[in-house]
Amino acid sequence: MRRIINKKTALILTLLAVIAGTSLAGCAKDNTNNDISTNNETSTNDENNTQKTEEKDISNTLNFGCTNFSDSLDPSTMINAAWCVSRYGIGEGLFHFDDEMNADYYLCDNYSVDETNTNWVFHIRDGVKFSNGNDLTPSKVVASLSYMYSQEAEGTGNSTPSQYMTYDSITADDSAGTVTIVTSKPYADLCSILAHPYYSILDVEQGNISENPIGTGPYAIVSYDTDVSIKMAANEYYWGKEVPYQNLNIIFIKDTTTKALAIRNGDVDVVENINSSNDLTTLQDSSDFNVSEATGIRCGFSYMNQKGILANEALRNAVLLALDDETMCNITVGGMYTAGYSVLPSGLDYGYQNLKDSTPFDVEAAVKCLDDAGITDTDGDGYRELNGQMINLNYLTYDSRNLTDFTEAIAVQLDSIGIKVTVNTTDADTEWNMLVSGEYDLLATNWMTVPVGDPYSYLDNWYSKSTANYCGYANEEYDRLYEELESELNKDARAKLIEQLQQILIDDAAVLVHGYYHSNMCSVASVTGANIYTADYYWITADIEPSN
Amino acid sequence: MKRMLDFVRLHKQFAILSALVFLLILTAVSAPLWIKISPYDSNLKDAFLPPGGEHLFGTDKLGRDVFSRVIYGSRISLTSSLLLTISVLFLGTVLGITAGYFGGVIDTVVMRIADMLISFPGMVLAIAVAGIMGASTMNAVIAILIVSWTKYARLARSLVLKIRHKDYIYAALTTGSKNLYILKKYMLPNVMPTLIVTAASDIGTMMLELAGLSFLGFGAKPPLAEWGLMLNEGRIYMMDYPWLMIYPGFAICIVVVIFNLLGDSLRDILDPRNKTK
Repeated sequence: MRRIINKKTALILTLLAVIAGTSLAGCAKDNTNNDISTNNETSTNDENNTQKTEEKDISNTLNFGCTNFSDSLDPSTMINAAWCVSRYGIGEGLFHFDDEMNADYYLCDNYSVDETNTNWVFHIRDGVKFSNGNDLTPSKVVASLSYMYSQEAEGTGNSTPSQYMTYDSITADDSAGTVTIVTSKPYADLCSILAHPYYSILDVEQGNISENPIGTGPYAIVSYDTDVSIKMAANEYYWGKEVPYQNLNIIFIKDTTTKALAIRNGDVDVVENINSSNDLTTLQDSSDFNVSEATGIRCGFSYMNQKGILANEALRNAVLLALDDETMCNITVGGMYTAGYSVLPSGLDYGYQNLKDSTPFDVEAAVKCLDDAGITDTDGDGYRELNGQMINLNYLTYDSRNLTDFTEAIAVQLDSIGIKVTVNTTDADTEWNMLVSGEYDLLATNWMTVPVGDPYSYLDNWYSKSTANYCGYANEEYDRLYEELESELNKDARAKLIEQLQQILIDDAAVLVHGYYHSNMCSVASVTGANIYTADYYWITADIEPSN
Repeated sequence: MKRMLDFVRLHKQFAILSALVFLLILTAVSAPLWIKISPYDSNLKDAFLPPGGEHLFGTDKLGRDVFSRVIYGSRISLTSSLLLTISVLFLGTVLGITAGYFGGVIDTVVMRIADMLISFPGMVLAIAVAGIMGASTMNAVIAILIVSWTKYARLARSLVLKIRHKDYIYAALTTGSKNLYILKKYMLPNVMPTLIVTAASDIGTMMLELAGLSFLGFGAKPPLAEWGLMLNEGRIYMMDYPWLMIYPGFAICIVVVIFNLLGDSLRDILDPRNKTK
């Protein structure tokens, strides 16, 4: 008992000592400052100071909510990783797209090209440093670009930079500050290609690239909690404008409603791509939030794997005929997409108005198409058979930009014409790997159609000789025109060829097009500059800053 | 008949709840006979219609009738919950009785496996198992079965151990009774009342756990009409189209309450302590 009392006494005395010490410290501070004030006032001042410091800390931190598209940040791992490096403000390229998809100078400040369009000399901007303090030299640029290609050649990663550019040599001249690329074929506009995130320049000789890539962007990684968040800090060596936030937290939020609730509750300051039209409208209607929207160059579509059951053209035609694209875009996904039937958005200048839809919505025509092709339900189970086997399409999707809504709507519409569809929802990485390995019948995805300012590389998806032809589509006429497009440098002639390529894909029922996505970025009113760009490669930039 | 009436008079609560359960099962079984709209018929243009008119509970994002989906959902939820409960009861009882009766290595192995499984939070382990096996109603049942049998095994074992060393067991052994006969004749009847009461009380819990897995995306897959999945599908429209969550949520709530109360009533009837009163 006595021991307990002693302990209590000791505790009380300790507390008193702490309180007395704190009060004396306050007095000492007052005396030092020769400030005539009472203890109470001093205390209030301290509280105010603390509060101001906290407010300053808060205003110095930006919380950004977004979907995690890749666990790795090594751009050679897969295309999503390359995008993340660019989107998170870590890596920057030699060039940068403006909203008209023209490539502007960025880490390169000048270039020249010979008359054969194969010998390109890029001058690297002086004074740029990586976030680790190392200088951005031409040698570093060459090392970074070579790393991507060597990883691809070794099969270490799924990224395919050679899809956009193949070269004979890349050499650095550090004294002249230039990088010379001798391409293996002429390119009309190599600058646009180099603006793609595959070609973000990283200090590949430093650090663990998959978790801590070192770039020249406004922010640098402090810590990476896989699939949870990334803590970042301002790049003290940033070559552009002053980085507005000292700290940046990227918080991974998969669910669109959670994103909307997070910004409404103040848990995050900025979120990308809220896909629920209801949530988006709520934010648009409130003066407490800014909503930036961009429409046009993203196409939601599903690959139709023509190495499997969908090699049957009648079946593909029936699938497309049975789908009500307008209703899916306007009602099912609440207007987040504009309906369309070509792989290139109607807003781009590639002759959409001249294209003819070979498979407009017509359920009766879909049924007739299947019946005529002998794809009927012979065993009375409600589902049709092809070559004696029940059709059960394996439809892969992932939770991004309303793709799951589309797949479910498509599944029920195809079910009504006797085609069973099994929807399998997975994550972006797994879906990509399954796309590459061909383990699907239908696979929903969402692509930037002009990734390098031109749809040439995107149309490669259906070029039979391409390694990026994951769906097994083959058409000799398409291949011929595509090869012609490769060497055609005239803009109008290219547009005409692209129009023809689109029509071939439509006529062959090669792709299931969902529509053209409207991207958005939402921010709280205390943040300005959080814009969604036409090129969806840029989310976090030094332009996002406190509004005051 | 008179005995039945006497039983009903004596156990009114149990009788009423049994009638409600019978009604639930009847509703589920007879659904195709009286539900005019298929739960899988969709009309995309009729999406998000509010409750009323042709669609008593409104429609969902694909224009499917929520009322018919809720009613049909009872077929899946009831079937899977009952299947799960019976499976858990069977597996737990067999392993528990075997471990308790034979003891030794069998007891050690079974109970250490049970200890390992108990050391993890049940739902988390079920999510892990369902995640590995892939999302489907059957896999969700298997996942919960894997983590739930331990409770029954422990209970059965403890009840068996209570009588394992009684004289009448030794007498049976001495007179040449086979182990299987003793297990059937003495052990099983001794443990079953308690285990059945526990199982009856657990039907509601099992239903909630299955709905929980489906809600998290580890159970039923679209387009199945399953209550947990319906809650998940309605979640993102909760603020604007609340009927997408209210009706399946209400259905889960009612059925779980009925089965929980039924379990309590059954316990009151079968509990030996109540008989002595």
